[in-house]
This record gives sequence, C-alpha cells and structure tokens, in this order.
Amino acid sequence: MNTMSMKWLIRREFWEYKGAMFWAPLAVAAALVLLIGGTMAYGLAMHPMPSHVTINGHAMNGYGGGMTLELRSRVAQIASSMYLGAALPLFGLLTAVVFSYCLGALYDERRDRSILFWKSLPVSDGMTVLSKAAMALLVAPLITIALGTAASLLLLLIGCVAIGFNGVNVLGPVLASPDLYLSPLRLLALLPVYIVWALPTVGWLLLVSSWARSKPFMWAVGAPLVALLVVKWVSVAMENFSGTQLDLLPWMQDVVARLLTGVVPGIWFAYTGGTPSMRPDEHGLDVSSLVSHSYATLSGADAWIGALLGAAMLYGAMRLRRYRDEG
Amino acid sequence: MSAVIAARNLSKRYGKRTAVDGIDFSIPAGRIVGLIGPNGSGKTTTLKAALGLIPFDGELSVLGYDPRTQRDDLMQEVCFIADVAILPRWLRVKDAVDFVAGVHPRFNREKAERYIANTSLKPSMKVKEMSKGMIVQLHLALVMAIDAKLLVLDEPTLGLDIIYRKQFYQNLLEDYFDEHKTIVITTHQVEEVEHILTDLMFIREGRIVLAASMEEIGERYIEVMVSHDKVSAANALQPIDRRTVFGKSVMLFDAGAAGASNGISRQQLAALGEVRNPSVADLFVATMKGTYA
Repeated sequence: MNTMSMKWLIRREFWEYKGAMFWAPLAVAAALVLLIGGTMAYGLAMHPMPSHVTINGHAMNGYGGGMTLELRSRVAQIASSMYLGAALPLFGLLTAVVFSYCLGALYDERRDRSILFWKSLPVSDGMTVLSKAAMALLVAPLITIALGTAASLLLLLIGCVAIGFNGVNVLGPVLASPDLYLSPLRLLALLPVYIVWALPTVGWLLLVSSWARSKPFMWAVGAPLVALLVVKWVSVAMENFSGTQLDLLPWMQDVVARLLTGVVPGIWFAYTGGTPSMRPDEHGLDVSSLVSHSYATLSGADAWIGALLGAAMLYGAMRLRRYRDEG
Repeated sequence: MSAVIAARNLSKRYGKRTAVDGIDFSIPAGRIVGLIGPNGSGKTTTLKAALGLIPFDGELSVLGYDPRTQRDDLMQEVCFIADVAILPRWLRVKDAVDFVAGVHPRFNREKAERYIANTSLKPSMKVKEMSKGMIVQLHLALVMAIDAKLLVLDEPTLGLDIIYRKQFYQNLLEDYFDEHKTIVITTHQVEEVEHILTDLMFIREGRIVLAASMEEIGERYIEVMVSHDKVSAANALQPIDRRTVFGKSVMLFDAGAAGASNGISRQQLAALGEVRNPSVADLFVATMKGTYA
C-alpha cells in the first residue's frame, strides 16, 4: 500500500514537473550533441589533422596510420575516461532544476490550492514530503545521469568516427577500454554521496516552501544571506573595537553555504577543503579517484550533521504541511 | 448507529477573532445535512476542523476518529470537495483517474470512467483546458467513485450555471447517496438543495442557531398569508418574520420555539389566513436577520 502510494506520488511529481525534470535536460543534451558533435565533425572534415603532432616537444610524424599505437591507445584512454565531462552542462542544469523544484514543491500546491485536493485523498503529509525529497535527490539526478551518459556516448562516437575518417582508428581501443563502461557506473556510485551532501539544502528549501506565505525564494535565499551580512557586520565592528573577530562568522558562513549550495554536484570538495588533484595524467583522467575522494568526504562528521539537520528540516516541512492554511 | 460527526464545545480562534464559538452538534449516519450560514459564519471552518485541515479546541469525533491525531485513517473513509476549484491545472483526466485509483483503496475505477464517458471530458484533456463546469464534473466523477462513508461538499457548485448545478445534485442523489453514506453540504444556493436535504443546520457568527430534521422544521415553522383584517391579531402572536407580497402580509411563525410564551397551534394560525410551509431560504433569511447590520 505504502510503496504503491509512493510510486504514484513520484509519478504525480513527474507529471507536474515533466518540463523541468525531463524536457529541459533532454533539450540541453540534444543541443550538446548537435553543437559539440557538429563542431567536431565539421572541424575535422574541413581541417584534417596535421601531419605533425607535437607532444612534449617531440615532433611526431603521425599522419594516418603513422600515428603510433601507443599514442593511439593513449588518446583512446583519455577519451574513454573523460568523455562524461561533456555532460557537465547537464549537471549545472540539474542544480538549477533541483533548487527551483524544491522551492516550489510545497509552495505551489498551496498557492493554487490543489493541496486541498491532494489532502482529500488518503495520502499522509509524510509520504507527500518524502516523495518530493525523493524526486529532488533521486529521480532528477538519475534522469540527468542517464541523459548525460547517453549524450556523452553519442559525442564520443561522433568524435571517434570523425577521427576515423582522418585515418586514425581510435574506436577499437575506445570500445576495448574498461573505462568506457565503468565511467557511468562511477557516476552512479556518486549518487549516494550527492544525496548526503544535498540533504541540508533540499531540507531547507522544502521547509521554506512549506512555510512561506509568499516569495519563497526571498525567504530561502534572502534570509540566510541577510543573517550572514548582519553577523559579518557585527564581526567587523568587533574587530575595530576589540581587535578580535566574531567566532560565529566562519561557522555562519559554512552554514549558509551548506543551506544554499548543497545541491551542486561535487560541491563536497569545496566544503571539505579543495578539490583533489585532478590533472589528467598519462592514463587520462583518473575518474575512479574521484569516486574514492568523494566517499572520503563522508568520513567527517560535517557531512552527517548536515544530513541529519536536513532530515530534521524535512520533518519540519511535513509538520507544517499538516496545518498550514492554504490562505 | 453512533454519530458520524459529533462535536462538543468545538471552538476555533484566528487570533482575536472567534470563527467557531463552542458549538455542539451531532450528525447521524445516512443523512444529507445542509450546513447553512452567511459569509464568515464559520461553516468552512467547522468543516475544515472535521477534515483535520486545521487545529481546533474542544472535542470532535468523525467516524470515531479524532481529526487532529488520526487524520490518515480518517481520510480512508472520508472524501471532500472544497469550496474552490482545486484540481491543479496540469492534471490530465486519465492521470487523475490513475492517481486516485493508485492511492485510494475504495476507488472504483469503472464507475469514474462511466461517469466521465457521460460528459464531454476527454482522457487526454488537461484541467487548464476545461471550463469551470467541466472541472467540477471531473472532480465529482473522482469523488463519487470513492466509496466514502462521509462526503463533505463545501460550496461544490460555486460559479456554475444552473444546468451544471442541477445535474450535480441529481448525480449525487442517484448515483452516490445511500443509507450507509452521509453527506454534509454547505451552499449559498439554498433553494437548490432544500429538496435533497434531510437535515438543516443554520450557523451564525460561529454558533449553531438551528439544527433540526426537515420534518421537524416542517412542523415547527409555519408561514401564513395573513388577511388584511387579521394583521393585528397575527402580530400579537409574535411572528419571527414579516414581509409583504402583492399587498398581502406574509408572516412566519415558530410554533415550537423552546420556552416561547405563546403556544401557537396550526389551527390558530389557519384562522388568520392561508397556511403553508416556508421555504428554507425564507426561513434562513428570517433567522439571519440583522447579520450584516
């Protein structure tokens, strides 16, 4: 019964937000394929690869079949481990979509009073809020991962074929590279990390969405920023007066950042002190280290305190939805 | 059979304003109750309390549940249509049916589809493409297919033309209501519901001023077309309302007012002129006199 309801609740969210959740990323993915793919194909067709490629100062006579096997496999290695980078704009879009979705999810139903219809059915407030959180933390990222992977694979294929027309066959080595198949799985493996770090922001936004009588964006973003400004101002004043900074300030900055930026994929590196070294080495970009570094960020208490507070805010949103008058 | 809704000292305050002021009432099963009152009299607040949509003070039991703490159980057996068109604009007819079928164990899909087939609604239609009347038809189709013990209708036909309104109540009576069900209706169009009601409750300024079955009301309230020569005699019997129709005085008497000094009988009134049962609308206006003064 409960899982059935959950399934229908998620489906309902999808009906309502199909535009933002599905069509928008699909359009961006299609645009990426068309623009990047088209540029690649056009560029390589109009300007064939130079006969001399200079790598690390060594001129290589590598036109066509002349390209060494080693070089070719290196290109394939880099391509198959990094191709998912092409999906980066989609993850930018995901951030915007999840943010605005959470802000509207519990506010819009009160504004258009459809909450009275949903509440006339035997679906609890808890289930409803959970379905919205699941939409933000699970469904939206999964759609993005799926579309991103599909678009990236398509681009990789276009690239390989375009290079192939220049006489360099990288398609074989690319297809043979385990990274090609592991990269999407690694992306998927990052989802739990994303959920933990995004929970405070999702919880906060849903809480405001459930609480605000008007202008949820102003409350969700404005209130923390104003609070931060006030603390900053007090801190500056204190510094002038007694020469010491307010201890509260760095803490406050952390809190506001966690409340507002948690839904940005990969933001956990910024929270925990800088990105790991991500320079491509001779094997291409080591994406598996990205996964292990990401999981390493979960070892600190920060991640879990935030997630716990996020869950508490979700609970608050449920309680508020119970009696919040629709106006 | 115990009461479907039982309220004792039910109160609701919004800040300083008292919307519902310590009311008591009880609605037995198998009735169609009209909860009637002017704007701002506390009708909607009372219903919202019964549906667990707002917190309140006092005791209230709906189908044996406390709406404050047992709302999830309660909603398995209760359905309602609120006073505004509340189906979301993006909802499609077929999705609405799928969704309710998915979450409501007492929903009868065939019944809803049969009802929809008799309207001009199309399965792929979105609410934003529908007229007001069609939205209510869809909502009613969904609600009528739910085998709820209690159905609460808060101004269900607001903004609809007379054809939709008549059809709405006819459907409700023919296809929905039976002796195991209870319907509570609030509406301003008293004339249109009075023949389907079994009970009346008048509410004014947060208090219930009249609660009786239609039979009791028929016995108790008497309207008399008083002949010219008997007007002063009639006035002596303290009518609760008087108006003039085509030069004739029409007076309304309460023959059973508790503690009334005058025990007026029907025969007594018949001597004054033509006697008939008042319409609920006239009774309502008489009862609510001075509300907006």
